[in-house]
Amino acid sequence: MLEVTLYFVQQLINGITIGSTYALIAIGYTMVYGIIGMINFAHGEVYMIGTYIAFMAITGLSMLGIEFLPIVFAVALISSMLVSSTFGLAIERVAYRPLRGGNRLIPLISAIGMSFFLQNYVRISQGARDIAMPSVVTGGWNFGPEHGFQASISYMQIIIFIATFISMTALTLFISRSRLGRACRATAQDLKMAGLLGINTNNVIAATFVIGAALAAVAGTLLGMYYGVANAYIGFLAGLKAFTAAVLGGIGSLPGAMLGGLILGISESMTAAYFSTEYKDVVSFGLLVLILLFKPTGILGKPEVEKI
Amino acid sequence: MKKKVAQKVLGLSASVLLAGSFSLANAETIKIAIAGPQTGDVAQYGDMQVIGAEMAVEQINAAGGVNGDKIEAIRYDDACEPKQAVAVANKIVNDGIKFVVGHLCSGSTQPASDVYEDEGILAISPASTNPEITQRGYKMIFRTIGLDSHQGPTAGRYIADKIKPSKVAVIHDKQQYGEGIATAVKKTLEEKGVNVALFEGVNKGDKDFSPLIAKLQKEKVDFVYYGGYHPELGQMLRQAAEKGFKAKFMGPEGVGNKDISQIAGDASEGLLVTLPPAFDQRPENKDLVQAFKDKSEDPSGAFVMTSYAAVKVIADAVAATKSQDTDAIQEYLRSHTFKTPMGEISFDDKGDLKGFDFEVYTWHADGSKSSVN
Repeated sequence: MLEVTLYFVQQLINGITIGSTYALIAIGYTMVYGIIGMINFAHGEVYMIGTYIAFMAITGLSMLGIEFLPIVFAVALISSMLVSSTFGLAIERVAYRPLRGGNRLIPLISAIGMSFFLQNYVRISQGARDIAMPSVVTGGWNFGPEHGFQASISYMQIIIFIATFISMTALTLFISRSRLGRACRATAQDLKMAGLLGINTNNVIAATFVIGAALAAVAGTLLGMYYGVANAYIGFLAGLKAFTAAVLGGIGSLPGAMLGGLILGISESMTAAYFSTEYKDVVSFGLLVLILLFKPTGILGKPEVEKI
Repeated sequence: MKKKVAQKVLGLSASVLLAGSFSLANAETIKIAIAGPQTGDVAQYGDMQVIGAEMAVEQINAAGGVNGDKIEAIRYDDACEPKQAVAVANKIVNDGIKFVVGHLCSGSTQPASDVYEDEGILAISPASTNPEITQRGYKMIFRTIGLDSHQGPTAGRYIADKIKPSKVAVIHDKQQYGEGIATAVKKTLEEKGVNVALFEGVNKGDKDFSPLIAKLQKEKVDFVYYGGYHPELGQMLRQAAEKGFKAKFMGPEGVGNKDISQIAGDASEGLLVTLPPAFDQRPENKDLVQAFKDKSEDPSGAFVMTSYAAVKVIADAVAATKSQDTDAIQEYLRSHTFKTPMGEISFDDKGDLKGFDFEVYTWHADGSKSSVN
């Protein structure tokens, strides 16, 4: 009995780890959708760039002989958030702003183009090969009987939990308490009206791209350190999973993105645990179809009200 | 007046161009396409192929070429993707090339070989080990490497006879190569009475294997065989070490590459790998190994010598038949023996090597390997 419970707990930990990083990336999709009603298909690429920058920072620091973990982590995180935010801002300026107000399909295409451009830009500037980095954080805690199945949680997983929790709390506080956050909510409710009431909606939209990109960079740094490999194409799958998470939770809703990420991560790890690893994507996308069948707006999504 | 000068200049340059193309046509070159992954996550194997094949081209040309003709090697990138491999194959047809050294990944070689067979292009793969490739009665498809139907049993016998594990898991990446060899290993193990508790596929490109590792821990597996390539196995080793899962791992030649040590670090120490014999350590290849080292290239990669041999075989056959007629050459290949850095090699009717065997090596954290015997 103990073993069964421990095994379940272990798989739950694994699921939450991967799910919380999906949630971090999903925020970027859901915020942009919530405000301008468009999907930013270049968002996965921002995550990929975040991973690359974190790798560069960590390698650079270890070349300087700095290996004190808190410093390494902080520098990697901050530099990757800064650079990725710049990319987020640039994507908005180049691929979205000039096309705003036109047909909704046009920015979609330009975002896909942006995604290809960024993939190939990184591929050309950083090389087509996978880059690999040894583990920065090793070890973990085991609990359970001495002989028999032990559940374990690695220090890296703990770091992922804590970093995700802090980012999510900060974002929630920012949206609910700060002036810009209030402007974000107002713009999401009604872009035109918010503009008429004196909110600089251009800045608000730019800010959502920046926030989304910064969170994707957090995910990029964490997963980069966890897996230790990256290439120019990791953004595609990560973006797809995060987008699924956003839709699952109800696109446009922040708590929805967090919930969607966790559900996706846990369902993947449970499928691998009790069924088979090869079907984990089948089950998680099957789940998406089921939920959308019964609740087309996602778990926490609100039905779209026709704006007059 | 100006117009006339311009016309003259134009005429002159045109004739220079013509002369240029004539001189190219006169000095007959034998073009060999080197088709393999030059980008993507298994591009390291493409590197091995390129340095091996280009060294052969360089040395053959330096020794006077083939009956006085030079060989020209042209690289094509299939990124180890079946779709791109077919596009590459069609490009090779359009470029009028008669010989191919490639492809590497079995999943690429299989669809590309259909094109080569139809178009009468002779292809020698230095790395594709899936048995299916030469079992379709094709005339034009050869390989200078062994088969998974031999590699699998070699691995299986080693596990059963030397390691004697109590519970084995066989994992694969659902690709033609990975699942093929995993199935062969599982079959041998079961014949030997070893308990295979788990046979499961993972998705290629996946990074998170923690649920799978927890499952292996729960099943108390003490030996894991992985059929596939190094990016996934490297990740498994890394996450297994983090979770304190201490089973021994083994993989086929698709994992034997220095990057696995980069990804997995110390966790790659002690990994077992079946590889082609270490031809670079044979005394008769000393000069060749030195030639690689002079160019600061690494001759120890699994497919360096097999690629060298593939080019050498094509060159020898062209020299002996005094033609680039691939039909005559494929007959010549099947009926003669060739002297290569892999030793004397010959092909059977299917296009497979006669008497090739894989050996078991222990991988080390610094990316080197040592024979288990």
